[in-house]
Amino acid sequence: MQPLPRPQLTSLLTNSVLDRLQRLRIRPVSRRTSRSRGEHLSGKGGTSTEFCDYRDYVPGDDTRFVDWNIFARLHRPYLKQFHKEEERHVVLLIDASASMKFDGKLELGKQLAAAFGVMGLLNNERVSVYASHMSGDAPDRLPACRGRMNMRNVFQFIEGVDGRGDAPLDRAAEKLLRYHTGRGVCVILSDFLTFGDLKRSFNLLYSAGLEPFGIQILSPREIDPDLASDLRLVDSETQETLDISSSSDLINLYQEYRQGLERDLELLCRRRAGQFLSVSSEVPVETVLFDQLRRRGWIE
Amino acid sequence: MNWGGFQSLSHLWLAALLVPLVLFYFLKLKRPRAEIPSLVLWRQVLQDQRVNSPFQRFKRNLLLLLQILLLLLLVLAALQPFWRGGPGKHRRLPLLVDCSASMGALDKPGGISRLAEAKRRARQIIDGLASDQELCLVSFDNSARQRTGFTNNKRLLRDALDQIEVEDVPSDLEQALRLVQAMGRSEPFDEAMLFSDGNFPARVNFDLSFKLNYQRLAAAGPNLGITSLTAQRPANGGWDVFVQIEGSADAEGNASVELLQDGTAIGSERITLARSHAQRMVFQIKGDHAAALRVQLTPDGFDSLAGDNTAYLDLPQSRPLKVFVPKSMASYRLALQGIVGIQLFPQDTSDEASGSFDLVMSDRPQDLGIAARTRLSVGFIPPELQRFVEIGTNASTVVDWRRDAAALQHVELSDLVVLDQPRFAANAGEADLENLGYEVLIHGQRGPLLVRKQESDAVRFALLFHTDHSTLPYRVGFPIFVANIVQIALGQVGLAEANADRTGVLPPLTLAPHHRYEVQGPDQKSEPVTADERGTLSGVRASRVGYYSLSENGAAKGRVGACLLSPTETSLAGVEQIQFNERLQVAVAATLVKSDRPLWPMLLMSGLCVLVVEWWFFQKKPGGWK
Repeated sequence: MQPLPRPQLTSLLTNSVLDRLQRLRIRPVSRRTSRSRGEHLSGKGGTSTEFCDYRDYVPGDDTRFVDWNIFARLHRPYLKQFHKEEERHVVLLIDASASMKFDGKLELGKQLAAAFGVMGLLNNERVSVYASHMSGDAPDRLPACRGRMNMRNVFQFIEGVDGRGDAPLDRAAEKLLRYHTGRGVCVILSDFLTFGDLKRSFNLLYSAGLEPFGIQILSPREIDPDLASDLRLVDSETQETLDISSSSDLINLYQEYRQGLERDLELLCRRRAGQFLSVSSEVPVETVLFDQLRRRGWIE
Repeated sequence: MNWGGFQSLSHLWLAALLVPLVLFYFLKLKRPRAEIPSLVLWRQVLQDQRVNSPFQRFKRNLLLLLQILLLLLLVLAALQPFWRGGPGKHRRLPLLVDCSASMGALDKPGGISRLAEAKRRARQIIDGLASDQELCLVSFDNSARQRTGFTNNKRLLRDALDQIEVEDVPSDLEQALRLVQAMGRSEPFDEAMLFSDGNFPARVNFDLSFKLNYQRLAAAGPNLGITSLTAQRPANGGWDVFVQIEGSADAEGNASVELLQDGTAIGSERITLARSHAQRMVFQIKGDHAAALRVQLTPDGFDSLAGDNTAYLDLPQSRPLKVFVPKSMASYRLALQGIVGIQLFPQDTSDEASGSFDLVMSDRPQDLGIAARTRLSVGFIPPELQRFVEIGTNASTVVDWRRDAAALQHVELSDLVVLDQPRFAANAGEADLENLGYEVLIHGQRGPLLVRKQESDAVRFALLFHTDHSTLPYRVGFPIFVANIVQIALGQVGLAEANADRTGVLPPLTLAPHHRYEVQGPDQKSEPVTADERGTLSGVRASRVGYYSLSENGAAKGRVGACLLSPTETSLAGVEQIQFNERLQVAVAATLVKSDRPLWPMLLMSGLCVLVVEWWFFQKKPGGWK
């Protein structure tokens, strides 16, 4: 007798992907955690059971942490330090502007957001989700939540995200910080095609204790444009137009600019203890998660 | 130096179409819209490209530039530019194209004929014809034919040029020049152009009044051909058929000659011909019945001209010559009795003629009505000469005679005494006789003694004195004279010898008077002809080698073979210099004629290429221009 198939938890990820995600966790570059107690060892001394280091005793220190055995041998007080276990935030910022509607970009972004959310919740991290639409409006958000029981909420929120509006990513990141407190990682799922100043936004994220993990999702048409004859290009967000005449020089220049943007974004993230990856929207989410991200050490 | 120009500068106004083109480009250019996620990268790319790329302004409007280029090419094509080929430009130019038999010679196996080469060159001139120039096309063989008048219509000229075909006849340049000169009286021109292989007489009896550009075509390949086909009747009653084979200057090698009688091969010979030599051969056939002979020459190697490889000869049935001589002319009958192969009439007691004869010798005017191909009247003035010649009473002697005349060969007339004295009437002379077609063979002291008139199918001799009133019957020359007349009669009826008929005009045929016939040539073209009141059919053009069938209402009436038999045409020799009257000489042009080269086809092709590039660039090339 064969077992009954399990019901699909979410339309975003298959159950098999979810099973594999249970054994994975996000691996930040620097361990940024909130001061509130959690399950992540902080770099500072704490009250966990894991020994960290010794230091000289200074007046005012808690004498409970003095290592009396050493004091007995050396007649000098040394303070025994322990790792501190703090909670970590996983902030998911989904660029849900109109530019993400093309060729499954938003779908892949939502799938990756769901995967990161699952990994965060299962590792008892505080997961919050933001979706930016209109430039003037506040982003749709799911407040920080923790634990397996919030998995359905995360799925429901992400599933409900649709592509519309003209919110630039830099403005969305700044608005995110109005609602968010806590340290951790900020996974940004976007095409990063914005006229705004991303450097300033990333600085704000970094200074707020969030490591920027940028995942650029581009459609195949953006990676390898297929242009013929004279065209009038229309921006999906602003409806602005631009006339171009197709030529190999133009295509080559476009590729140079696209690759230059990738390099800039990677540098932007790395300098702020973050990471960056550019993927095509036609690549399956399993490949991105279990191949590209894992090999790059984003998750472990 | 004049490099070229435009033939139709009036079409320059088409350049004004540039204005609406530019206007419509900017007013009507509608680019297809393509929605993309973001213009971020494209704006930066375009900005960079505009800054760094040269000719950016041009590249931005590449489509407009291509359209302007296309329009300019079309306008230029409409102006009909040309590249000057020749040194000058002629308002009118007659083109003389030789289409004689030698122009059918090929340059190499599977090559092109001389006529095709001439037509190719003529076509180049027609193609480069300017709008203010006119050409006239004249083809010539042994006669000239004006194909077109002076015209600028290229299609008409090309069609006329295409219709020129090789005629299996020798060429006669004089005819063509006279025709062109006559045309020049109404439409003057300065120069005429001649395309020929030069296979015509080097000396032309013509007063050249215009400049002749003699464009001689390259020599053809080697050629062997039949140049003579005759038959003679030997004493045994059969026929000796003589065939002569000659070749062009560079022709040598082996060939086989085959003789067919009524379609059946009766003889064959292999020959080896050296350069500049001729081969003669003799075939002997029986003469018991009429025969249609065909001689076929088959060279082993390449033969550039096929028209001279076949010859035809019709031989009549051998029979005695029927001669009528009244019994009163005993001297003539006595002379005829010694000649074999004749049947003398009258044989019975009657002295009247009945039926037809081959030769009639009579001193009775009433016998002039007897049907015969050869007639000799003796002792009276033919009625048509009576206005110009009369008989005097004094004796006369021979002053001079035509020793080369067939009737007088080996006849010595010195010291001949004639008691009659034929003399010219008052105000009459030899010219009056010539106007009537008579030729004086023996000149007496005061007038003609023997005259000859050649008619279409008969020959008439008239001794204006009676031989009985002269010392002629007593001389050795008399039986020779009679024998000569017999030989002429034999030749007239084809019993002595037979010659193959040449192309050009068929020999006169004797048929029913006023009947209509159809003549079908070797090219299967039919021509209606009508016999005259005497039943003679003459003047039928035969320009191709082969049999010409004669039919009346579908019923075959016979056939005649025509062959080239021209040593000149077979030799394919081309003259370097044409000698005209007044020591005027025209040499072969040193350079090939170059016509003005029209450039509009290239411009149109360039325009088409621009169109294709534009279509490919903007419609088919996905990544743009590489």
